[in-house]
Amino acid sequence: MTGALLADIVIGGLTTGGIYALVALGLNLQYGLMRVLNVAHGEFLMLGAYLTFSLHTGWGVPPLLTLLVTTPAAFAAGVALHRLLYARVLAAGDTGGLEARSLLLSFGLLFVLQNGALLIWSADLKGYSYLATPVRLFGTVFPANRMVAAGVALALSLAFYAYLRRSLAGKAVRALMQEPDGARLVGIDVTRLHARCFGAGVAMSAATGSLVSMLFELTPFMGLPYTVTALVVVILGGLGNVLGSLAGALLLGLVETAAVYAAASDIRVIASYAVLSLILILRPSGLFGR
Amino acid sequence: MAARLASAVALAALAAVLLAAPAALSSYHRALALAILADIALAVGWAMFSGPTRYLSLATGAFFGVGAYASALTIARAPWPLPVLAGAGTAAALALLVGLLALRLRGPYFAVFTFGLAELVKHSLIWYETSVTGTVGRLILAPPGPLVLYYTVLLTAVAAVATAAGLRRSRWGLALVGIGADEERAETLGIDTVRVKIGAFALSACFLGAVGAAMAPRWTYLDPQVFSPLVSFQTVIMALVGGAASLWGPVLGAAFLGLAGEILLVKFRYLYQVGLGLTLMLVVLLLPQGLAALGRRRRA
Repeated sequence: MTGALLADIVIGGLTTGGIYALVALGLNLQYGLMRVLNVAHGEFLMLGAYLTFSLHTGWGVPPLLTLLVTTPAAFAAGVALHRLLYARVLAAGDTGGLEARSLLLSFGLLFVLQNGALLIWSADLKGYSYLATPVRLFGTVFPANRMVAAGVALALSLAFYAYLRRSLAGKAVRALMQEPDGARLVGIDVTRLHARCFGAGVAMSAATGSLVSMLFELTPFMGLPYTVTALVVVILGGLGNVLGSLAGALLLGLVETAAVYAAASDIRVIASYAVLSLILILRPSGLFGR
Repeated sequence: MAARLASAVALAALAAVLLAAPAALSSYHRALALAILADIALAVGWAMFSGPTRYLSLATGAFFGVGAYASALTIARAPWPLPVLAGAGTAAALALLVGLLALRLRGPYFAVFTFGLAELVKHSLIWYETSVTGTVGRLILAPPGPLVLYYTVLLTAVAAVATAAGLRRSRWGLALVGIGADEERAETLGIDTVRVKIGAFALSACFLGAVGAAMAPRWTYLDPQVFSPLVSFQTVIMALVGGAASLWGPVLGAAFLGLAGEILLVKFRYLYQVGLGLTLMLVVLLLPQGLAALGRRRRA
């Protein structure tokens, strides 16, 4: 194997993995904290991408600056959705049916958002070119936008991790993940924290969408593959395990990139579904799970 | 006694209408009736396993697609009802395999696994067709006539309802309900949960595969897109809207949404799916037991 090919796979894999990390972290926060398996997660990525596309092509806002719009808007939408939908199911308190019911709610949401987007933007591919200048690195060439998107995604993921470790709110979130009843006892406002974390998860997905819109063309169907990828990463890294998610995302990015080089590009989807199935069968609690 | 007599009369009348219907209907309305009967068979078949056990299976699209492909591959070589049986058999074989692997997964993991399965089969088939056989699909030559298809699907739907009714009264059906209520306790009581679950999963897949096989000749050209996640979701929604735990709930839900769907899907495809999503959300929030429970509550 030549050095250039190796650099190709490693850099390609890490940039892909960096983007996966941010979207997976959002899903992990929602599932790890409140057992809401949000299969509509990728739809918020799609909406974030379309919002950035509209702001950039319509008003000429630089794509990176649109993060200042998409992230807070998605956070607010997430908090509202939690209050309106998920809080009611969670409040019902029926533990057996809770996960199934929140899953079904998310499926409903997926249908509404995806087909709503089809009504608004149609099924045609949309896209724009931004920072497509080539960058030379270790003997291979990568477009600058890919490095920027992956860099921002990784930075946001690490910043969120630091926030969870250092801040008081982060401590409360970790307490709630480890010991839900104990957290209630020491006076943590569970409902409010749930709503905020759900919002944060949606915001991370939408932010990933804003970044991804610089790299690929947009369709209303682009979200679901990211949901599956995020699920693979979360299951790979273990539920509620933030560092595990980061490691899992980078690992999956590398594996997928290597698979594409080894076989063909359409093998990528098969590889990620196959990895998901295998992990579920062999290690239902994840590679890094407790 | 009077109530039982009344329902027997109602059933006989329904049977007579369904048997005589194709002769009285235009070809458009016959196609509509066919689609609704197929939806009913799918929803009842799905609820056979997922209703009592509360294991949310999203593999319906996979079983439907496998059945359709089996039918497309055998239709040129075998006389008509055989391709349907081939579809049922292939789907049941797949269910046995998946069941062995997946049924120790609980809750949402099972749902995710079955969803991934349908996509895995679809993408593998796309890859196989394009890179090995060099085609993108299968042509179905000399399909059976519309009347034959109608009676095939009607028979499948009736068989599904009859099987579901028989299952509910059997020890096997009671074991399934026991698993849905508390799997550990069912196991402690001496139920061989693995065998009971896998058996019911395969039985349910038989009907899903048979519907796929019977509906395949409607498209003259079959490609891997037949493994549509929409089939999986639509089936779940129909069964849940009607009430997955009752016998007639899935029939009711499928007839209601099938009628709405077939009329709206053609004209307002995306709007219909938005409505489908909203319906699902409303049912989950307001009517967790489905439409069937609404009737029961009023009577009680």
